[in-house]
Amino acid sequence: MAGRASLIAIALILAALFGVAFANSSSPGDFGITLLSGLFQGMLLFLVASGLSIVFGLMDVLNLAQGSYFMVGAYVAYDAQHAGGVIDLTSVLPDPNLRFIGAVLAAIAVGALLGYLLERGLLRPLYSRPIFQLVLTFGVSLVALELVKFIWTTTPYSWTELFGVRESFFELFGQRFSTYRLFVVGMGIALIVAIGLLLQRSRIGIIIRAGVEDREMVQALGINVRAVFTLVFTLGCAIAAFGGAVAAPFLGASTTLGNIFLLQAIAVVVLGGMGSYSGTAVGSVLVGLAIAVAQDTAIGTAFAALPSITPMLLLVLVLLVRPSGLFGKS
Amino acid sequence: MQSLTPSSRGGWLRGYWLPALLLVFLILFPFIVGALTESSPFGVARGDRMVMRGESVRWQSVLIEVYILAILAMSYNLLFGFTGVISFGHALFFGTAGYVLGLLLEYTALETGVALALGVLAAIAVCGALGLLIGFVTLRLKGVYFAIFTLAVAEMFFIFFGRWQLTRAEDGFAITDLPVWLDPSQSRISFYYVALALAVLTFLFIRRLVNSPTGAVFKAIRENEDRAQSMGYNTLNYKLLSITIAGMLAGVAGILQVILNKKVGPELLGVSYTVDPLLMTIIGGIGTFSGPVIGASGLHFLDVFLRDAELVIAGITIDIANIWALLLGVIFILVVIVFPFGIIGTWQRRRATRKQRAVTTGHPPSA
Repeated sequence: MAGRASLIAIALILAALFGVAFANSSSPGDFGITLLSGLFQGMLLFLVASGLSIVFGLMDVLNLAQGSYFMVGAYVAYDAQHAGGVIDLTSVLPDPNLRFIGAVLAAIAVGALLGYLLERGLLRPLYSRPIFQLVLTFGVSLVALELVKFIWTTTPYSWTELFGVRESFFELFGQRFSTYRLFVVGMGIALIVAIGLLLQRSRIGIIIRAGVEDREMVQALGINVRAVFTLVFTLGCAIAAFGGAVAAPFLGASTTLGNIFLLQAIAVVVLGGMGSYSGTAVGSVLVGLAIAVAQDTAIGTAFAALPSITPMLLLVLVLLVRPSGLFGKS
Repeated sequence: MQSLTPSSRGGWLRGYWLPALLLVFLILFPFIVGALTESSPFGVARGDRMVMRGESVRWQSVLIEVYILAILAMSYNLLFGFTGVISFGHALFFGTAGYVLGLLLEYTALETGVALALGVLAAIAVCGALGLLIGFVTLRLKGVYFAIFTLAVAEMFFIFFGRWQLTRAEDGFAITDLPVWLDPSQSRISFYYVALALAVLTFLFIRRLVNSPTGAVFKAIRENEDRAQSMGYNTLNYKLLSITIAGMLAGVAGILQVILNKKVGPELLGVSYTVDPLLMTIIGGIGTFSGPVIGASGLHFLDVFLRDAELVIAGITIDIANIWALLLGVIFILVVIVFPFGIIGTWQRRRATRKQRAVTTGHPPSA
């Protein structure tokens, strides 16, 4: 568990963020918008970072292609939702709401399949050479980017088809809040709890946690660690693709998505402490909020790049105080 | 174990005849191409100015690009191949040096020559300081942390310079003011020799450094850092030294790139200037002296020759230029999996085993 210093650090960061957000907002509604958008970004980050974190903890592989799965998820979901793409679901599922569920499922399936292929086909031979795994996943991210450009061209897509949840708003304090954002935040929290429970309570979760502690011991107890590796890696990629799919209605699909989210997710994982699940969850929320606050602050000023730099600034600050992250083992 | 070790007896030239021959060829290269294609290596005179036109001049710039990439790859290899520190942010040094030089040349009222001299010195100094700073903050972290930290910092710089209005954001700015003797659009051949000289000096410097006692510690860190530490070496200091030197050398490459293109822009900080040296080092051979040079020249020549080529698969014509990045990525993955020691590395290993076999069986080596 986190020590007192970490809790103080988290409280300080939160206090600073809320302070800045409050100073910037003119009304409670304004503040609420910043908060919701921060949580929304945080949940998207969590979807990329959770796989990264668990895979690193268990297998010592930092999957630099994780962002690509997010990007591919966004493209697949966009493609499936809109008419005239590679996957055309418009005739099968005419209702846009249902089709969106189909699109998300398609993205998850593609992510899981690609993740499985990467682990079984390319990563397996390299477990004895860890630095080459890093280099390999880096190479895979380049190939993924080029393939996406090849299939969907480099022009970014923005989500045009409006459907129930995406369109609707609710009003609070005189401000209009997007129901879809709230929906994603709710789903993200549900997923955080679900994965947490899976890790804490289920048999496979116990094996995964034991594997994070001591991989060889688990193997010596007669458990097929390799199969667990494959499962965890596939799951991580599927979750990242899911993240891309639910982000697409807001962010659209573009070739820069992968790198942006990879870097931010890495900041989250390192900031939370590598291999620590609760660290990743807390880190996602912190970084998401920080980005939202920075976006508010940067509007109309010369610091247009501030939101993109914020995760790294936060990371550098935390690492200077706690070199192994908030929840990391020192 | 190096490919260039001179034999114990005979003149100094004996072990070095191949590189010496290559160097002579490269020095004469503009004139050889000039004679073969009947073009002047100095360009075409128009009035009192020289216009850079003709085959010889065109090939000079191809080779200059090779030299720049080779310097970049060699500096990367010092860090990755000899010290065992993996960085994903080498473009940071390359681009920062370019920006520092560009800012001094274009944004100060200094005289051209003074601005150039100051710019070069400042660029290299800033790269060294940057390497020292990044190393100081992160090198005590484990390898993976360091790699992603460098990636993050490089990306931060990329975003920052891509949006900085002073340097014209993503358009970048042109270098208009260069001394005539260095200006590649007025006297390319002299810039060719500057780049060649710097590439050769970098090669010799890295060889000298790695073969020194300091270099021995670098390699000890690469093999087993804990062991090097328990032998009493302050490994952090040595890693700091390695990243500082590598950063400065990458800065030299960035300076040359800016002078060659006469343009400074955020693409200098882009991920491709990290990927290229990484790829060139791995393909040529990690931790070998000539590997990065061979990787750099091989990949760049492939790029130049294949850029206009077309591939016909099942009736569909594909421009190689469009899928070049994809091809590179696939080569990247294949090399990492099946060819992890690169061209030079594999060749050296094979030679070493052949020698060993010859020693054990008593037969002289066949080659």
